[in-house]
Amino acid sequence: MAGSSLVLSDDSTLSKIDTSLYKMERVLALLSGLAVFSLMVLAVFSVGGRNLFNTPLAGYVDWIEQAMPLIAFMGVAYTQRDGGHIRMDMLVGALKGRSLYAVEFLTTLAILALMLLLVWGSWAHFARSFDFGAPMWSRDSSMDIALPLWPAKLLAPVAFGVLCLRLGLQLWAYARAFFHNDETPVAVPLVADAATQAAMEAEHVSGHDT
Amino acid sequence: TEWSVSLWGKRRAFTEHVEKLAELVSEKTGGEFTLNISYGGLSKNKENLDGISIGAFEMAQFCAGYHRDKNPSITVLELPFLGVSSLEQEVELSMAVYQHPAVQKDLARWNATLLMPSPLPQYNLVGVGDAPSTLADFEGLSVRATGGIGKAMETVGAVPTSMSASEVRQAMDSGIVKAVAFAPHAHMSFGTIENGTWWTTNLNPGTVNCPVVVNTDALNDLSDEHRAALLESVDEALAYYVEFYNSKTMAAWGPALEERGIAQVTFSVGAVTAFKEAAAAPAAAAWIEENTKRGLPAQELYDLVTGMIAKGE
Amino acid sequence: MEPIEIGLVVSGGLLVLVVLGMRVAFAAGLAGMVGLIWIFWAKFGYDPSRFGKALTIAVKTAGQVPHSKVSSQALSLIPTFILIGYLAYYAGLTKALFEAAKRWLAWVPGGLAVSTVFATAGFAAVSGASVATSAVFARIAIPEMLAIGYDKRFAAGVVAAGGTLASLIPPSAILVIYAIIVEQDVGKLLLAGFIPGAFSAVIYGILIIGMALTIKGFGPAVSGFTWKERFVSLPPALPILFVVVTIIFFVYNPFGGDAWGTPTEGGAIGAFVVFLMALYRGMRWAELKDALLETAKLSVMIFTIIWGVLIYVRFLGFADLPGAFSDWITSLTMSPMLILIMILLAYAVLGMFMDAIGMLLLTLPVVYPAVMALNGGEFVSAADSTFGMSGPMCAIWFGILVVKMAEFCLITPPIGLNCFVVAGVRDDLSVQDVFKGVTPFFIADAVTIALLVAFPAIVLWLPGQV
Ligand code: NA
Ligand code: NA
Repeated sequence: MAGSSLVLSDDSTLSKIDTSLYKMERVLALLSGLAVFSLMVLAVFSVGGRNLFNTPLAGYVDWIEQAMPLIAFMGVAYTQRDGGHIRMDMLVGALKGRSLYAVEFLTTLAILALMLLLVWGSWAHFARSFDFGAPMWSRDSSMDIALPLWPAKLLAPVAFGVLCLRLGLQLWAYARAFFHNDETPVAVPLVADAATQAAMEAEHVSGHDT
Repeated sequence: TEWSVSLWGKRRAFTEHVEKLAELVSEKTGGEFTLNISYGGLSKNKENLDGISIGAFEMAQFCAGYHRDKNPSITVLELPFLGVSSLEQEVELSMAVYQHPAVQKDLARWNATLLMPSPLPQYNLVGVGDAPSTLADFEGLSVRATGGIGKAMETVGAVPTSMSASEVRQAMDSGIVKAVAFAPHAHMSFGTIENGTWWTTNLNPGTVNCPVVVNTDALNDLSDEHRAALLESVDEALAYYVEFYNSKTMAAWGPALEERGIAQVTFSVGAVTAFKEAAAAPAAAAWIEENTKRGLPAQELYDLVTGMIAKGE
Repeated sequence: MEPIEIGLVVSGGLLVLVVLGMRVAFAAGLAGMVGLIWIFWAKFGYDPSRFGKALTIAVKTAGQVPHSKVSSQALSLIPTFILIGYLAYYAGLTKALFEAAKRWLAWVPGGLAVSTVFATAGFAAVSGASVATSAVFARIAIPEMLAIGYDKRFAAGVVAAGGTLASLIPPSAILVIYAIIVEQDVGKLLLAGFIPGAFSAVIYGILIIGMALTIKGFGPAVSGFTWKERFVSLPPALPILFVVVTIIFFVYNPFGGDAWGTPTEGGAIGAFVVFLMALYRGMRWAELKDALLETAKLSVMIFTIIWGVLIYVRFLGFADLPGAFSDWITSLTMSPMLILIMILLAYAVLGMFMDAIGMLLLTLPVVYPAVMALNGGEFVSAADSTFGMSGPMCAIWFGILVVKMAEFCLITPPIGLNCFVVAGVRDDLSVQDVFKGVTPFFIADAVTIALLVAFPAIVLWLPGQV
């Protein structure tokens, strides 16, 4: 299973758009990391409050449930850009050049089709929880402290929308690589041989130690 | 015609009326109209109303307290200390509320028609440690109680603490909560009586309201014969449910408590009245105020419920 | 076509997409989406004028899944467990552990390799992910083993195999995922992983000592550490113990009193302790930011698989495939134990080609009910059951077996992620080298799994105490 891989850049328009989109994706991913961090802090408050002051954090579970979509969705395009969503690369690992770009184009197109449908579906999910006429615009709320759910539900179509942009860009890149028959296409994760790929992955799991 | 029905968990006392309904409908239509019941396969319980609205399935069960903003009108039945004394009375109250035009309009936002309730007895507490004997003993007691019951517990100084039902046993083991408010069948199935040492027999803080709804379009699309078969089976299904709950669950409840040596705590009339006065009126007032703002005839709904209870006495 | 047939066809299609190299999360989501559209349209009798309606219902049904399924308190354990691992690295716990294990254990035959196994086992107690564990130890342990003459392939194999312990010994992201799919008590499952994880480590140790005694020039024992040097090595590694104890106390109090909280809180408090240590060891915003980004990336990867696969699982629910499979399994006339072994072997084969989380998410919704039915149902008592254990205990036992299988797959060719990672860290090692070096551990794992099947008490004793 491939994790991270190499993404090249040059001075083409495509590559410039790629790097600026990447910056935005990185900010969103950092938000997701900060949400993980806040979960930790929340638990410290909850446990501390309960054991030291006998005042448990009201709505602890409700807040966790609000934080989870942040963690789960915000980095989805960032991860796709770096090729971090796992896959079986036995077949694509053996392909080269145009045949490779063609297969990548097709599977990326399939993902885009899915994600466009999911933008629609998750937007509808959000819309059902949102009501301009209701207090706090809420038509669906959490169980204990009645937090409105629409902000968390809105995160899905937003993050998926960014992913659609990323997928569109990757389609463009694969198409360009196909027509030019590039050796080293930009703006898409390259299928390196297994060892190079693992090196990337090892680097990303062990942080700064290189 | 085949309808999909979205329930959750496992088949239990709480779902027997739907199982019975499926049996009756199939019988009456000679197998032409069937209800295909799924336990959790079609939707998450908190999203059953969404599924009805989408049209993914034709019938579903949910609890009003899961999402009060989705169904503000029926949360009137979850107010604390309404003083409901039997499942039969709970059925009557629910059906009356379900017939109210404002309630029907509220649920119509989800393309849902209320079919029948899943009446549950009062959510009395099972707890560990020293059993409370007066209201003062609730001060600082951490309790797992949601919605109106949690609000009520707060008024006597208890600390409502939330977690999913599946974490309740663990939370009790770990001392996160000292007491849990559940209906008896849930106390048994979530294992709170395994380590609990006391049960309140007459605190009767309230209950939850969990209706069974059908997709309105699907109901209208049924042939007259099938629709009649469905609607005319409701009373029998409910009667079966109540009988099942009373004779099986409640019959098992007493012995289950005795077997485990759980102390049955009975509060004095004075104590319960004091609790009720501290909790019931403010909760009702807050509910009426909030839901009037939503444009519901909140006072009218509240009066409907309390009026019926007063008459029943 | 009957819904069940649609279920089978779409599942076949999913397999094709995965083999084609489509990212697993999205392949599963797409299969689920197409399946739902198909099911609803079939319900409308394939009436072309009602295709739009079927599409809308399917899309809206699938569109609920991502938000609804990830908004769960239980799943919040996964990112915190991942964060602990990254923070532990910055807190210097990895190096400290290896050093302590070396000074205390390296005097036995094959000592440095044995030390490596136990250091990984120790790190497993703060790390929730196998791959991260192997990657970290490839940097620390392999150079030392090479320096005293170990075969480089074997040294790599030790690290690759040692990493798999992280998913059995709690905290473990994959055990949490199992618990959530099958709706069982997370705390008990985590607890149940302890002994099988330690047991696996011991079997690995025995294997290494056996090899050291029989193979010439295997790698010398390392002796000569003074008692003083040994004791000095302990304090830097002690925080691990502290974190372990914290997490244990949040799951279950061994002294019979109240536990301190829920597993969810335990994981978060453990992460906080390690966070404070890392701060003390000089971690600042730049490093924290890296740790957070990496945590986000790995979490997003896992969550995307979760919601993608759950869209597919939602479709399976409408197609009623799990029910059908379960009926089929229980109708077989083979002995139930034989069926269980066949299922485990099927996991071995599947795991050769898939990663652990994807494999569990894809298969468990169908396989788990079948196994439970095989044992006599979810509420069966130990006395009436097939395998001699109650329903909930069977769920725990099967969970540990399946996770151990999934971990086994991390070191088997052709796709053994741990081996890829180790080879990636070391320029002088090819993936083939690592696969070769890890081969002896197949035998150790096969022995472990056989013993866990034959003696379920190894798994069930500890959770049975709660
Ligand atoms: Na671990
Ligand atoms: Na493998």
